[in-house]
Amino acid sequence: MGKKLHIHSTSTCDVLIIGAGGAGLRCAAHLHERRPDLLIFTVTKVAHPQKSHTSTAQGGMAAVDPKDKTDQSLYHMFDTWKGGDCASDQNVVKKIVDGGWEEVQWLERKGIHFSRDEGGNISKRQFGGHTVEFGKGDALRAVFVADRTGKGIMDTAWGEALKGGSRFINTTVVTELLFNEGCCVGAVLFKVKEGEFITVLAKATVLATGGSGQVFRITTNCRNNTGDGLAVILRAGLPVMDPEAVQFHPTGIVGPGILASEALRSEGGILRNKELEPFMERYAPKMKDLAPRDIVARAIETEIREGRGIMDPDHQIEHVWIDLRHLPDYVHEVKLKEVASFFKTYANLDSRTQLCPVRPSNHYHMGGIPTNEHGEVLTTANTVVPGLFAVGECACASLHGFNRLGTNSLLELLVMGRYAGERVLSGLKEKLAPAPKGAGEATLALFTSYLEAQGKENVGLIRQEMREVMTRKVGVFRIEKGMQEAIASLIAFKQRVAKVAISTKDTRMNQELLERWELDNLLDSAMAIAQGALMRKESRGAHFREDYPERSDEFQFHTLVSMTDFGKVSFGKRPIDMGICDAKGEYYEQFRIMPRKY
Amino acid sequence: MTKTYSLTLTIKRYDPDRSARWFQTYRLDSGPILRFVDLFRRINVEQDATLAWASSCEHAQCGSCSVNVNGRPMLACELLVENAVTLFGTTVFKIAPVSVAPVIRDLVVDWEKAYERVHRAKPYLIKPKELPPGMTEHRISPQELARYEEATRCINCFCCAEACISGNRTFIGPNAAMAGIVRMMDSREKEKEERLDLLYSEEGIYRCHTSKACSHVCPKQIDVAHFIALAKEGAF
Ligand SMILES: Cc1cc2nc3c(=O)[nH]c(=O)nc-3n(C[C@H](O)[C@H](O)[C@H](O)COP(=O)(O)OP(=O)(O)OC[C@H]3O[C@@H](n4cnc5c(N)ncnc54)[C@H](O)[C@@H]3O)c2cc1C
Ligand code: SF4
Ligand code: SF4
Repeated sequence: MGKKLHIHSTSTCDVLIIGAGGAGLRCAAHLHERRPDLLIFTVTKVAHPQKSHTSTAQGGMAAVDPKDKTDQSLYHMFDTWKGGDCASDQNVVKKIVDGGWEEVQWLERKGIHFSRDEGGNISKRQFGGHTVEFGKGDALRAVFVADRTGKGIMDTAWGEALKGGSRFINTTVVTELLFNEGCCVGAVLFKVKEGEFITVLAKATVLATGGSGQVFRITTNCRNNTGDGLAVILRAGLPVMDPEAVQFHPTGIVGPGILASEALRSEGGILRNKELEPFMERYAPKMKDLAPRDIVARAIETEIREGRGIMDPDHQIEHVWIDLRHLPDYVHEVKLKEVASFFKTYANLDSRTQLCPVRPSNHYHMGGIPTNEHGEVLTTANTVVPGLFAVGECACASLHGFNRLGTNSLLELLVMGRYAGERVLSGLKEKLAPAPKGAGEATLALFTSYLEAQGKENVGLIRQEMREVMTRKVGVFRIEKGMQEAIASLIAFKQRVAKVAISTKDTRMNQELLERWELDNLLDSAMAIAQGALMRKESRGAHFREDYPERSDEFQFHTLVSMTDFGKVSFGKRPIDMGICDAKGEYYEQFRIMPRKY
Repeated sequence: MTKTYSLTLTIKRYDPDRSARWFQTYRLDSGPILRFVDLFRRINVEQDATLAWASSCEHAQCGSCSVNVNGRPMLACELLVENAVTLFGTTVFKIAPVSVAPVIRDLVVDWEKAYERVHRAKPYLIKPKELPPGMTEHRISPQELARYEEATRCINCFCCAEACISGNRTFIGPNAAMAGIVRMMDSREKEKEERLDLLYSEEGIYRCHTSKACSHVCPKQIDVAHFIALAKEGAF
């Protein structure tokens, strides 16, 4: 055993931002703009903020252009509400949609390279679920940076935070939040590169740690999305909201799960099973391959479950085919250039002459840390936790309800990043509160236990098994018995991880140690997801229960899950805000509870 | 039936605790379409949990996983076994960390140090141009954007800097130079003087020998040398 773990130092700052993706950096940039005098620490788990996962977002960012006479904020709000299967909070939907175009302008002034139309104006494209006049026609509402919109946003927000003077603390993770008399006063961080634990005291702490996709075997999410933010919140005794609301994209490329956009199907790609049958005809006779994401995802899963999938020998994953061979060269070379190149890069296939392997891939976590419309974190009793904020995919305000529309996430990152920044400023205290007694002890005890554990178990292997169980039993299809089995497996995994011995004892850049800690976070997140899904005896948005295939008004609320000990959860409820409907303004009747039919 | 390759991966290792450096050989059988990151993960699970390697998005969009494979800087997340075998004509691979930044452990380098160059090139608009009266956004024609759009795809993987024959001690490096050049070309940047000062400084573009090694290795297929050539001519 190496040296005894200890807290290396304590630093202080005005605002501590944990997570430097689109959401965290937008918040940082806003704070720097408004208050250049503030000292802001921006923490990221990756080696540099530009490496954050927002960079992979492709398609676009939704925002209603006030200059566009055909579109209106109310239409966008309706689409979001309907898409979310009546589980978004309408006050949040309104605030975020209303703030969209200002963010487009901010990005544009700060140098983002939006794609342009012939007149030199910002181009816009159509995206699934975005309509005008309450479903009557398609809306041109997504601004984009070619096929790398997230990268454009990432680079701009990072550049501005850098310019503003953010102190970046890279390759570092938050392990514990610090509270003093109920207020969040900072956090304990583990600096992975240096192998040091530090405490940071701050007047406000903003969590922006991103998604949790690594809970599932096939995911479009990055290696770092291990649900750390959710785990840290649960360990602080705070709840996670709607954890069961997890979105699966129907067509991830086998095996890495890389997103193959819907454009494949809208350009005429046909899904086929082992017998090469175009099976979507059986599931959606009218829309066939163009049916909404969740329907296509379920159809593919059914084919695979019923033995009509194909096993990829290298990745050992079952899939179906997408057939693009009949499409003209022009479509392959121009319209589908990027996606076609993904098949080439990741599967060595030529989509012009070969069938390409796809299957549903975990994509987005609608659930997360509950906040209000200002990004302030809420307790089970719906009271604000002073000094603590959450924005981006780790948070749940909730804009997306139980199903996120494409392009609405990037919108949320930016708008909520700014709003949270604004709220941080309006409530900023004069003085720092002291650290509570015993700050960091929990972290040190946890990491010491990892380093001292003995046994023959292997982190990578348990992680692999957990991801497999979650994909099979708490994935696209969910049923009571399967989820109970999954929960039992998770408890067994938790017992097995205690028997993982870490051979590298030096804490510097100790990948074994970091992955051991991440596995605990994955298990916590997986448990919250499974328990939430088991409790919700209905189907809503992306949450599909085979034993309860319909939505039920009995469950017209947000789930709150708290977990004191692993597997021991308690549930709370938060009402779904109906502010737009209740205000009885123009078109308010479009914001009632309605069926989600397309 | 799919093919199986019997691979030999000789990986350069570094343990900071013992200040030890050595090469370690791993043998594994793999199908054609596993990527090098998948191989590293398999080594962790099946043979050696201590091997440290870097990646994040594994979509070739973040540039965290650059390594030297048989002397060539590449992204481990998009290198398929089958392609590597074809490219190098062998199933034996020597894998080493990139040298543009200090090694922390095994294949993991301190990207922060490499990024210092990009930060020096100020990857943002130093002085953004004001909007024309009555406008809410700038107008930029697609033709104007097309002149520099390619350069904006750079993910700062530093493969170009690794391959650059000008070395990374005296030259700010191809990607950092390009970060400055893009903003020279962007009509929304008003602060051109400061940018020129850096581009034509001691560590600036005159260090470049126009060998085009950068363009050759760029995983995003950016013609980096073209942008440096434009800057040499002052053709922003
Ligand atoms: C392939 C793909 C395509 C997408 N396309 C679109 C699209 O076209 N439009 C759209 O709107 N949305 C899209 N999305 C969704 C959207 O990109 C994400 O939801 C969004 O980028 C998340 O941003 P974030 O800032 O919350 O998190 P991230 O960008 O993931 O950033 C999280 C940050 O937190 C850090 N972090 C994580 N854990 C810790 C820890 N323990 N301690 C400290 N720091 C930590 C990370 O290092 C990182 O800096 C896409 C997603 C994927 C995967
Ligand atoms: S120019 Fe290409 S090789 Fe160089 S850092 Fe950018 S993406 Fe990497
Ligand atoms: S062209 Fe210039 S920048 Fe590119 S590798 Fe050669 S010397 Fe380096």
